[in-house]
Amino acid sequence: MNSVAREVATAGRELAESLSGEQLFVVTERSRAGEGAGKVLLVDGGEEVEGDPDLIAEALARAATKKRPSAILVGATRTGRIVAARLAAKLRLGCLSDVYRLRLQGTSIVGDRDVFAGKVVAEVKADLPCVATVKVGTYPMMSEGRTGLEVEEVGSLHRGVRLVETLEKRESTTDLRGASVIVSAGRGFRTKEDLRLAEDLAKALGGALGCSRPLSSDYGWLPEELHIGLTGVTVKPSLYFALGISGQLQHVAGIKESKVIAAVNTDRDAPIFQVADYGIVGDLYQVVPAILEILKG
Amino acid sequence: MSTFDKNAVEESVRLKESSSGSVTIITVGRSDAKKTVKEALAMGGDRGYLVVSAEPDPHDSLTTAYLLARAIERAGPFDLVLCAEGSSDVYAGQVGPMLSEWLALPFLGYVRKVEIKDRVIRCEQTLEESVRVLEAELPALVSVMSEINEPRYPTLLQIMQASKKPIEEVGSELLIDGRAPPRLVTTVGMTAHAMSRKRVIFEGSPEATSRKLVEALRSEGVLKR
Repeated sequence: MNSVAREVATAGRELAESLSGEQLFVVTERSRAGEGAGKVLLVDGGEEVEGDPDLIAEALARAATKKRPSAILVGATRTGRIVAARLAAKLRLGCLSDVYRLRLQGTSIVGDRDVFAGKVVAEVKADLPCVATVKVGTYPMMSEGRTGLEVEEVGSLHRGVRLVETLEKRESTTDLRGASVIVSAGRGFRTKEDLRLAEDLAKALGGALGCSRPLSSDYGWLPEELHIGLTGVTVKPSLYFALGISGQLQHVAGIKESKVIAAVNTDRDAPIFQVADYGIVGDLYQVVPAILEILKG
Repeated sequence: MSTFDKNAVEESVRLKESSSGSVTIITVGRSDAKKTVKEALAMGGDRGYLVVSAEPDPHDSLTTAYLLARAIERAGPFDLVLCAEGSSDVYAGQVGPMLSEWLALPFLGYVRKVEIKDRVIRCEQTLEESVRVLEAELPALVSVMSEINEPRYPTLLQIMQASKKPIEEVGSELLIDGRAPPRLVTTVGMTAHAMSRKRVIFEGSPEATSRKLVEALRSEGVLKR
């Protein structure tokens, strides 16, 4: 199980307990039938789904029509969001997205979600049965341990989208969600090579490297999974160190649960200083080497 | 118009310019959303279609997607539907995939590059752990990422010309038929997120400020060494 699945498992267990129901771990690939933290249901459409959200949604919809679950939880990754939305439309169920603190309220599920770039928390409600995507980084990870396997054959699935090839298959390097220290790089870095400074600081602090959206999405300097913010990963380290990050709301939305936020920026009026505990107004190219020197000493 | 939506409009206009066809701008909103439609027409859309809904709940994506699907069908035949990866206010990213379900179209989501040749669409999809090259037959539905393009700024002339382009308005009640999904999701509360930070700022030489910062972080107990 990956870390997202283990978080969703915790959210699911809490709900199953309040509904006095059973929790099932659903996989759509035979190769993953060994993964789960309880009873596993393998939904088998007879061919490899290859991560195709259309096929996964169709397989899950057929299985759900038989099993009639009260709630279907999916991790709010990009694939997860597509699967959940298509599944909800197929089954004509309400779909909560990117929710956390899920709770039962009568015959509905209520969850919290961050809107307007994290400035506002909305409480959203869906009648049971429903589908929900669970915001990544908001639940503790459940430990693995499969207790049983059930297989549901759902017949062949119609493939509308062909996978031609996979580019840039990224190895999962660091898991930002579990990191206690994160050093994050922003547009204050002038070249990809200069990111060495952020890496060195991360290493000196025993932490992980992250970045704001432009560095992964626009420049392609770092993999997408290191992108922290509203449209990327949400993190909650004890120390978040923002280097050359201006502090756009979309970025701040992903770091606001951090215990301490430190920032280095040349612009005294950068919004990051409004949300930081400690800030240095200065050039990261001079400040980071100075910090490294002190940490060495 | 949200910046995410501008990327979708820009991409549709580029596809039109590099091949042929026309671009219809479709949205669901209150009647003041007409301004948004006009903005998109100034960027190069040919006609607008506004579904007027009195109080659309931003979290009731299923209803929004249903209204858009019915509007798209009424607007006439099409080859491609483009939408943004999500909205800038709630960023749920649900409307695109739900729309593809209601219209029974292949969905290519989170796309950073689009090419069309001989009625086959080829896209680069960016997921968290990989980039995938996908293909599907038209008609299809695509949601684009913001890095796909740099949206143009319309000229004054284009803005003036846009006001002459046709915009059709239809009340949402006219599109809600027997197949419409019930409203299953509601927003029950909104509270401002409280964030209190110390906001201590150090200014001066790199050495002096760094020393103060490291001391502060040590006393917070967040430095491992």
